[in-house]
Amino acid sequence: MLLSVRDLIVRFRTHDGTVHAVNGVSFDVDEGETLGLVGESGCGKSVSNLAIMRLLPRPAGHIEGGQVLFEDVDLTKLPEADMRDLRGREIAMIFQDPMTSLNPVLTIEEQLVETIRAHRPVTAAAARTRAIELLGMVGIAQPAGRLRSYPHEFSGGMRQRVMIAMALALQPKLLIADEPTTALDVTIQAQVLELLQRLTTEQGTAVILITHDLGVVAGMTRRINVMYAGFVVEAATTANLFAAPRHPYTVGLLHSIPRLDAAVDEPLIPIEGVPPDLRIPPVGCAFAARCAWRLPRCWTEIPPLDPLVPLEPGASVRTTGPAATHRVACWNPVTAEEAGLGAPRRPGFSAAPPPTGSRDVVVAADTPEAVLVEPAEASSP
Amino acid sequence: MLRFIIRRILGSIPVLFGLSVILFFFLRLLPGDPALTILGEHATPQLVAQMHEALGLDKPLYVQYLGYLGQLLQGNFGSSIIDNRSVLDSFLVRFPVTIELTIGALIFAVGLGIPLGRLAARHPNGWIDALVTVLSLFGISIPIFVLGYTLAFVFGVELHWLPTIGPLDPRLDVHTVTHFPIIDAILSRNPNAILDAFSHLFLPAIALGSIPLAIVTRITRASVIDVSNEDYVRTARAKGLSQHRVDDRHIMRNAWLPVITVIGLQVGGLLAGAVLTETVFGWSGVGSWVVTSIENHDYIVVQSLILIFATIFLAVNLLVDIGYAFINPRIRYS
Amino acid sequence: MSSAPTSVVVRAAPRASRGLWRDAFQRLLRNRPALLGLFFIAVFVIAAVLAPLLAPDDPAVGNLALSKQGPTLAHLMGTDLLGRDELSRVLFGARISLLVGVVAVAFGLFFGVIVGAIAGGVGGAVDTVLMRVTDVLLAIPGILLAIGIVASLGHGQIQIMLAVGISYAPIFARLLRGSLLALREADFVTAARSEGASPARILLRHLLPNALTPLIVAATLAMATAIIDVAGLGFLGLGPGDPRVAEWGEMLTDSARFLQNAPYLILFPGAAIVISAIGFNLVGDGLREAIDPRLKR
Repeated sequence: MLLSVRDLIVRFRTHDGTVHAVNGVSFDVDEGETLGLVGESGCGKSVSNLAIMRLLPRPAGHIEGGQVLFEDVDLTKLPEADMRDLRGREIAMIFQDPMTSLNPVLTIEEQLVETIRAHRPVTAAAARTRAIELLGMVGIAQPAGRLRSYPHEFSGGMRQRVMIAMALALQPKLLIADEPTTALDVTIQAQVLELLQRLTTEQGTAVILITHDLGVVAGMTRRINVMYAGFVVEAATTANLFAAPRHPYTVGLLHSIPRLDAAVDEPLIPIEGVPPDLRIPPVGCAFAARCAWRLPRCWTEIPPLDPLVPLEPGASVRTTGPAATHRVACWNPVTAEEAGLGAPRRPGFSAAPPPTGSRDVVVAADTPEAVLVEPAEASSP
Repeated sequence: MLRFIIRRILGSIPVLFGLSVILFFFLRLLPGDPALTILGEHATPQLVAQMHEALGLDKPLYVQYLGYLGQLLQGNFGSSIIDNRSVLDSFLVRFPVTIELTIGALIFAVGLGIPLGRLAARHPNGWIDALVTVLSLFGISIPIFVLGYTLAFVFGVELHWLPTIGPLDPRLDVHTVTHFPIIDAILSRNPNAILDAFSHLFLPAIALGSIPLAIVTRITRASVIDVSNEDYVRTARAKGLSQHRVDDRHIMRNAWLPVITVIGLQVGGLLAGAVLTETVFGWSGVGSWVVTSIENHDYIVVQSLILIFATIFLAVNLLVDIGYAFINPRIRYS
Repeated sequence: MSSAPTSVVVRAAPRASRGLWRDAFQRLLRNRPALLGLFFIAVFVIAAVLAPLLAPDDPAVGNLALSKQGPTLAHLMGTDLLGRDELSRVLFGARISLLVGVVAVAFGLFFGVIVGAIAGGVGGAVDTVLMRVTDVLLAIPGILLAIGIVASLGHGQIQIMLAVGISYAPIFARLLRGSLLALREADFVTAARSEGASPARILLRHLLPNALTPLIVAATLAMATAIIDVAGLGFLGLGPGDPRVAEWGEMLTDSARFLQNAPYLILFPGAAIVISAIGFNLVGDGLREAIDPRLKR
């Protein structure tokens, strides 16, 4: 096991209260494995990974519980100097916006060379040679000539290639790619993803790919964790997740994106409502307010991430690998037929109304800007 | 780059031209007759008319202006109507004192303001930040002369630590060579004189530098906090660079940019503030000359000095812009 | 999903500007430094308005026998060279500072708003010419422009107000023009234009009210500068020039010679200037944060 995140809790202390960004998230990554983290913005996928790197925005962000075991060492307890040595060398990161992720006043050479020399006792000349090699590796023409360039002289796709070169400079064991193609033109996205996949496979680098786009993870990752409001709500192999989604949120995600393989008459079904206010500590299932499958207990009890099919005696949950156990955090999972439809299909079933005096109502009364609206209004943008 | 410099220089020419127009017409059109100032209230009309002719005041305004502009272009700012000495000559004698004072204040403001701003930005809203915020609030709220007298009273009158009058003790008999008190003191090779020159500069520089100090501190703090939140700083941390390296190379290299612009803008305030500071501490630089010229209604001197100060201000900011372009590659290549 | 009634909490869109102002005001009241500033301003304004009632003595009449006496119970801030009660003079000085400061800033706003609105509203060659003139005036550093104007206009309160006001006008003009240009591209202005609103109506009804917000902040901060600049002019001998009028800057000039034996004559007027300026600076900063909460640290 390369990385094992256990019950990670991350909170932000802000002027407006405590933001419960990550609420007990666990996941594992094997050597050379690829894991997709999928969810809407603000679901905690980026925050969990910044927490792994201990790069949470200071002073607001804190790891308030759990462990991050990297090669059996708990990173949350590592001294800062050791952690710094690990960053870039063992775990590297690529960020969303290549326009802003490279320092505008330093040349590509300076930024590549300093990365190498921060971790390897090599001469500037040797680091420079390596930098040229890296630029060539990520497909930048005439790499030696481009070293002296500044980031603004590169296109977005080229900059992301430079970011990839920088991230892979020290052949890290784990690469965290946070929405690596979101800011790029559609035509460039595929090229960059292909490059990322080829290089990490060659180097045997494990990848955590963070994205809101199920289309991106489909071809890139072996397993997928779906996250919502700081929880992992469904975990499965990529094949299983697409073939048999079981969490209402996953089903909603799959139905809200156009798919080329979908039946012609299959309508797009948007997920209604908005993600919950993370400043309120979760009481029940975080998705309850937007869920058509919810039961009364969904409002009051947080569902655990449990195997979809009860394990046979003596068997244990597999968290990694091609045979990873399909798990879902839901009191009322979607059936196969419903997953195809995108809506509940049970005679006489209707989603449980919120309990009287529930937090939604309380919030509406307390916050001057908040108003109670009917669902029809709420769904209009 | 060269095109950028040339464009900036050409851009400031209309401003200088406009400045000469405004100052000329503004000060000429206003009530008060310079001839009367020179001759006294009881001059005969005939004498006044002769004086008008001598000063060229009998010609149409635009002719007067063109003549004035022609003189300006030859570097001739005219002569004082009080002692008839060339404004430029007197200026060159007095300006070194003002330069020394201004540079002293600038060193105080920048030398202290940047570290203070960085310190405050390290823990935004922490107690150091609060202290720095209060200090800079005082800095921009205290008039130079109030601070000047307070410093003079505490460190001069009460504690006797530092001298409060003039740039140099006249008893030391330092030869005037460059008109820069400190340089002259150094040339005298008298250690006491050197020490004396520096100690005389201390309080005026603090009084004059307090407002720029507050502003430089504020802008440094804000800029460092802004840059610290940039994505590329997170990238630098994610690469495993040391805090020191992230601070110096990735944060400060970018945070400098707005700070440099603001420092350039402070030079104007410093020159204007020198008027007050030199008056408080009895320095005979250009600043106190402005005051005596106003008292004497010596409008040529006032007009010329304002024009010279504005020109210096524009020139400094031109240099700052060019320097900015040098350290900011995004401008350098555009 | 739509089969069940669901309550969802959403944020209402920003309401009319009245709500925006009310929110800003509430944020201001939660900002403790700004409240302290409001308190300082209140003290300053009360001292200025009620000076005739509060002052124990006539600020213009002194008793030479009581020259330069330190603070006593009878004269809480001591007496000046002419034996006049310093407390009364500081109180009446607030009157001058407030009056001259407010009128000067109002002058500056008046000229600045006219020039800025024409430049930003009309644009084109008019804008270019007006902004060149503004550039020229801005090239004259700080208080020097005011010094030059007073020097030529002569002594007197009106002259000071005009001089200080004119020296601020280009700053306000620049600011207003800048926000007008930014707002012209804003979606709600495009919307108004597409609905066929006339240019004048767009300028007066949509652009100006929104562009005034930064001006209010700038004007508050300018009050602090105005108090300091007016005192500076007084200090340089360019004050009201009427010995019967107590003006903080002039009081300092008069007292500077007695720094050794009567430092309190510097201390009290000096403190009065500093406290008033701090008040306006704190409120100005607080307003800025209240109007644009993103700026908050």
